[in-house]
Amino acid sequence: MDHHPTNWGRPRNDTVDPYGTYPIHQRPTNVPKDAFAAGIQHTQQPIVTGTSVLGIKFKDGIMMAADNLASYGSLARFRDIQRLHPVGEHTVLGAGGDMSDFQYIQGILDELMIDEFAAGDGHTLGPAEVHNYLSELMYARRSKMNPLWNSLLVGGFKDGKRFLAYVDLLGTTYSASTLATGYGSHIAQPLLRRAVEGREDTLTEDEARKILEQSMQVLFYRDARSLDQYQIATITAKGVNISESRKLETSWSFAEGIRGYGAQTQ
Amino acid sequence: MVDRIDFQQLKSGEVNLGTSIMAVQFSNGVVIGADSRTTTGSYIANRVTDKLTHVHDRVYCCRSGSAADTQAVADIVHYYLQLYSQQTGAPPPVHTAASIFQRMCYENKDQLSAGIIVAGWDKEVGPSVYNIPLGGGLFRQPWAIGGTPPVPAQRTYTGTATRRTRRAGGRDETVEFVKNTLALAMSRDGSSGGVIRMCVITEEGVERLFVPGNELPKFWTGTEVLAAPKEKVVLDPQVAPMVIE
Amino acid sequence: MTSIGTGYDLSASTYSPDGRIFQVEYANKAVENSGTAIGLKVKDGVVLAVEKLVHSKLLVPGANRRIQTVDRHIGLATAGLPADGRTVANRARDEAAGYRDFYRSPPTLKTIADRIGHFVQMYTLYSSVRPFGISTILGAVDKDGPALGYHGAAVGKGRQLAKTELEKLKLSELTAREAVIEAARIIYLVHEDAKEKEFELEMSWIGPETNGLHVAVPKDLFDEAEAKAKEALVSGLE
Repeated sequence: MDHHPTNWGRPRNDTVDPYGTYPIHQRPTNVPKDAFAAGIQHTQQPIVTGTSVLGIKFKDGIMMAADNLASYGSLARFRDIQRLHPVGEHTVLGAGGDMSDFQYIQGILDELMIDEFAAGDGHTLGPAEVHNYLSELMYARRSKMNPLWNSLLVGGFKDGKRFLAYVDLLGTTYSASTLATGYGSHIAQPLLRRAVEGREDTLTEDEARKILEQSMQVLFYRDARSLDQYQIATITAKGVNISESRKLETSWSFAEGIRGYGAQTQ
Repeated sequence: MVDRIDFQQLKSGEVNLGTSIMAVQFSNGVVIGADSRTTTGSYIANRVTDKLTHVHDRVYCCRSGSAADTQAVADIVHYYLQLYSQQTGAPPPVHTAASIFQRMCYENKDQLSAGIIVAGWDKEVGPSVYNIPLGGGLFRQPWAIGGTPPVPAQRTYTGTATRRTRRAGGRDETVEFVKNTLALAMSRDGSSGGVIRMCVITEEGVERLFVPGNELPKFWTGTEVLAAPKEKVVLDPQVAPMVIE
Repeated sequence: MTSIGTGYDLSASTYSPDGRIFQVEYANKAVENSGTAIGLKVKDGVVLAVEKLVHSKLLVPGANRRIQTVDRHIGLATAGLPADGRTVANRARDEAAGYRDFYRSPPTLKTIADRIGHFVQMYTLYSSVRPFGISTILGAVDKDGPALGYHGAAVGKGRQLAKTELEKLKLSELTAREAVIEAARIIYLVHEDAKEKEFELEMSWIGPETNGLHVAVPKDLFDEAEAKAKEALVSGLE
């Protein structure tokens, strides 16, 4: 029986003592458990993470939203980061998951766009090309058992066509007129579908923005890793526009009169 | 409930800088600071460590995590920055130093446990502070705090620091702020302690500051509100107690 | 060419007794056969211009460009063998990409020029390689502002006249827009010596109107500059 405080309330795990709380004479040993444990171990967890990204089609293009938070476990560690990244003239990449991997992807795409620019052949990469490139990249990395720990949305507008698609750490891709990653895929996606599906060609920019604002609000209410500071990206024939950081309007005053959790009245 | 995330697993017997570190930008410089405790488990391997590490004339880093890892990384960055200044004939911008740290931490994230704050002054942007947490991301901040194990240590003082954010304060109040925040963290975090070391980095130079472990700022401990001892009744020796028969 | 037949001109790794490297001098001949390329560093930007001699009527207009983009903010113009120009431009791109990858910031022109200088010099050391038959002008607007290493530079056949013309200008007072006009004029002027050959004017710039990017001079400005250049030529000859 292990009575040490480190193990109160959880099953014993001798290999981990992250807080260094074992007295030195009974510190856990970290011997490999089997013949394979000493082999190459890649980081199999995200560390500094972003939460949901939302994306919808509307009349003139694509609109995306993501908050400005990068969490460290449950600590809201960085509250001013950008998770919507412009890629060239026609595309925006939105990322949830590990932020260091996202920065790495940004670097790769930036270089890709410079190569394209330097070629100077009059061609530019659009959202479909960027998305396909990312799907190959993500799948190649998962096949090396060393994935880039992200769920990504690629939104864009080029040659009169809207584009919105998803790719994740496994290289899985899909496309729809409304998309959401992470918590958003559970909470916001049904709301987005109800508001957008069948109306992709009539929704105005203002209506689209309203829909995303409402979904971001619900996510802020229900996602414990979210923030009320967020940005909206709009991609139309006019190009890419990523808004300044804006604050969600939330409502709490109704809670003032709530008493107890049932029969209590005062 | 999701299980607690195991951010770091030190190898058996590995020395840990389990640490309170921070850096704060002010109008014309940065103040960086750290405690001085290095531990193996709960044994203090070094009580007077210097975690403020020179990587170039006006660029320093605060190291947290494995002492061996962060020293190795800082040594390599120091080498690259010497190379940079020789090749370009100018001192490296803080961003350059931070980027090299970031690359090493990102590309070797599987084998490193290193949380590093890079801070300094350069002629392009003046004072700046960069945070490079465990996974190897790069984040510029007006002030940064760090330390591993990150969760308990940082939670205790992220709140304190946030409330007292200094963006363009003066040198002296920034030094006081860093000193007080570190002392507060050290008082609560078992893996932090010892002395406070600080550096003020400006265009003019780097100034070292030191607060000995027996002269740390003291904080409210709560003893005052607990019932004060009752006034002792002192008997007047002149008054003879009544003899009870 | 007294060097021919002496045996000292067979390799770039051999000096002649009077300290010359004939292979490098021959490479310069290849540059002199080529149309002129110039670069102007002015108050708020950099302009590159090239007199591209068109050797065949079969060539599509705009083909075989001699001004190339190295990085978003860096341009490169060459005079000499076009293939060597592309090799050096590709190397410059690799260097710029490598710098960005390592330092996560855009390279300064000086860094790229140093590295390309080193790269080119390596091809003057060994008997197994041929020195590049080009002269290169690199221009950029980087964190330190417009950069070229010189206020003005000229390489290729008409470089002497071009330099004389550049020296007459108050380069540090010109705007990028004005510099484009001057560049076109100079290219048309130096072409007078090879009038019988067809040529195509190529111009690029980096300035306040390009958002810091190295791009071709826009058509309206290009046409204006070309028209003024032709005008200046006519009035100059009178």
